[in-house]
Amino acid sequence: MNKDIIRTSSRKGLLFGIVLIFLVLINFHIMASTMISKLLGTNVLRGAFPEVRFMIIFLVIYGLWAGWSAVSRENKTTTKLLEGLISGITTGIVIVLFGLILFFLLETQTDVRRYLTALSFVSINIFLLGLRGAGVPVLFGLFTLTGLLGGALAIGLRSKTVSNFKHSIKAFVSNVRQSITSALPEFVTKYGKYMIYLVLLALLLLLPSRWGSYNNFVFGMVGLYVILGIGLNIMLGLSGQFMIGIAALFAMGAYSVALLNSPFPHGLMWGFWPSLVVGVVMAVIGGLLLGLPIMRLRGDYLGIVTLGFGEIIRILLNSDLLTDLTGGPRGIQNIQQPTFLGRPFNDVSYAYLIIVAMAVSIFLYYRLEKSRTGRAWLSIKEDTLVARATGVDVQKYKLLALCIGAAFAGLAGGIFAARNQFTGPNDHTLMVSINVLSVVIVGGLNSIPGIILGSFALRGLPELLRELETYRLLVFGALLVFMMLVRPDGLWPSSRPNLEEKGSSDLKEDIDPDLEGRGND
Amino acid sequence: MLKVTDLNVYYGAIHALKGISFDLQEGEIVTLIGANGAGKSTLLNTVSGILHAKEGTVEYLGENISNEAPQVIVQKGIVQVPEGRKIFAKMTVMENLEMGAYTVTDRQQIQDKREAMFDRFPVLRTRSKQLGGTLSGGEQQMLAMARALMANPKLLLLDEPSMGLAPVLVEQIFDIIQDINQQGTSVLLVEQNAHMALSIADRAYVLETGHIVLEGDASVVMNDPMVISAYLGG
Ligand SMILES: Nc1ncnc2c1ncn2[C@@H]1O[C@H](COP(=O)(O)OP(=O)(O)O)[C@@H](O)[C@H]1O
Ligand SMILES: [Mg+2]
Repeated sequence: MNKDIIRTSSRKGLLFGIVLIFLVLINFHIMASTMISKLLGTNVLRGAFPEVRFMIIFLVIYGLWAGWSAVSRENKTTTKLLEGLISGITTGIVIVLFGLILFFLLETQTDVRRYLTALSFVSINIFLLGLRGAGVPVLFGLFTLTGLLGGALAIGLRSKTVSNFKHSIKAFVSNVRQSITSALPEFVTKYGKYMIYLVLLALLLLLPSRWGSYNNFVFGMVGLYVILGIGLNIMLGLSGQFMIGIAALFAMGAYSVALLNSPFPHGLMWGFWPSLVVGVVMAVIGGLLLGLPIMRLRGDYLGIVTLGFGEIIRILLNSDLLTDLTGGPRGIQNIQQPTFLGRPFNDVSYAYLIIVAMAVSIFLYYRLEKSRTGRAWLSIKEDTLVARATGVDVQKYKLLALCIGAAFAGLAGGIFAARNQFTGPNDHTLMVSINVLSVVIVGGLNSIPGIILGSFALRGLPELLRELETYRLLVFGALLVFMMLVRPDGLWPSSRPNLEEKGSSDLKEDIDPDLEGRGND
Repeated sequence: MLKVTDLNVYYGAIHALKGISFDLQEGEIVTLIGANGAGKSTLLNTVSGILHAKEGTVEYLGENISNEAPQVIVQKGIVQVPEGRKIFAKMTVMENLEMGAYTVTDRQQIQDKREAMFDRFPVLRTRSKQLGGTLSGGEQQMLAMARALMANPKLLLLDEPSMGLAPVLVEQIFDIIQDINQQGTSVLLVEQNAHMALSIADRAYVLETGHIVLEGDASVVMNDPMVISAYLGG
């Protein structure tokens, strides 16, 4: 029993530690500190680094979170505290190791920015709280303490008040929705859906040629994220694999189209269409190569490994070593443009191309979901062991999901590169993976309308509201918290779970009362 | 029909099955009884191909299937009903049944089979469009069994079908098991509820911490003093 507690909470702490390392590697700690300082009303000069005290606020929140999330639902108060503490200590240990490495880099003045662009000395210094070597034990103490506090916080806040609050928000939303639907005339509620589809279709056909190239650019971005989202959803939503390094597969498509279709570095001019096909195939191969060794990993670990894979690809692309092969840090310019019936592509043609690609992706997605393969994925996601017992070749179908999802990512990447007439390492950062993940989660797992809405909300809107760019992450954060409270299944959740409401509610009436607890496990 | 010889199964360093041998003849109900943690589920999972033995063999109809993948074993006719009423909670009853016939590709055969299941378990017909997770405990166990039968098993492996069910339902489930057996399916039944299991089985094995400590006709095992004191509450 006690061993279990130690194992699960230290695992949580380990995860938090590793994620924090990733965050530092992408410079998220600087961004977060800047946002906190803005939030608190302090003026930060453009391009200047935030003060250490904001970094401390960020780390304290992070540590509290690590402690909080390690707390399980049913344990006693002391156990909860223990869980928080263990999680905090584990995070602390991971960070000590990482901090020592950073300190070593700082002491020896080793510049690793060529491989890890974000890891500048200033960034390291802020992470070590400006204390250099002494920062390492301080960080350890900070995480131990905040882990414990996070545990305590969870005891206090995860009580009735919070769940009551959640319920009242939910009730409010459903009330509003009901009063809206009841206020509309009957034919609108009945045929409204189809009318909306018709209007959307007409807009899709008319708008690209009318609303100008900037809007086409934004629209194309949204469309490409829809395709990426569908790809990720096949891995994450349909087959339940926490694969998130989709930027790497996106890069496969983009680089194939770029390398096979530009004057430098290879001087190949295969044309857009053949190289797009190659891009899709390359992405599938990438999915396969990534999938084979990691098939046995589960959940959190799979996520971390695939994220790492994405970063490795980017670092390789960014290194000078491969300049002759992949164009190096400066990327690939002058990608040859496709032609259609003899006419070269412009922004309008790209918009239509993306509409077609999106339509094909959506169609394929629905076909897949309803197919035998889709059923097999659902069974694996629900219960891998039972899926095996009913004769589903789990390995094969998991790999298949990775490969098919990768194909979508490759398609999006190929179009992306050609449309920009350029691609380089910076088009394929961790941020791409994280953005696609947010699109799918925010929109609603396994829901195409959700993914479309998510892409628009997260990729389209910020682009249209450029002014607010710096607040974007902050808005995301607020939005995510709001969503988790009100719409845990996303903006537009998949309709499957609603079936449940039609079922009987006499769920466990015939379970032996003595064994009730056991039956639920 | 099934012959297991000197089976040794490990979870990492944990030695879960320590040289298990037993057999099952065509048409029999054989039960394996044992307390929590004795290794019953491990044994069934090894026969199903979900786990693989480090030493020892599983022979089925004279063929060594020790290293086969689970889907191959299902195709050969050995199907397991896993412990704890494991149905697919987010699939409808209908879809659950179709999952059971996953290794069958003939649409007509699947349809016929499904009708047969609805006849055998009428309550499933009335709930066919409902999600599995909304069924009651007893209904879920029936669905799990129906799903396994969809694959046309020659040998059905049942892992603690009585777990967590009220006594009335347990009796109903065991009647169904007997019925299935009489229609020609051999059954390997794993149970903690020794009383019920021994009352319908032909032969029995008693499993303790990875060893078989007793075997024989069910009626003999039922009267063994050790079994009476340890498993029958006597
Ligand atoms: N996945 C696993 N990892 C490690 N040990 C396991 C695992 N599953 C079962 N065990 C161990 O193997 C032994 C047998 O377990 P099991 O076959 O589930 O017993 P039973 O089904 O009879 O209750 C137990 O000691 C259990 O702790
Ligand atoms: Mg068991």
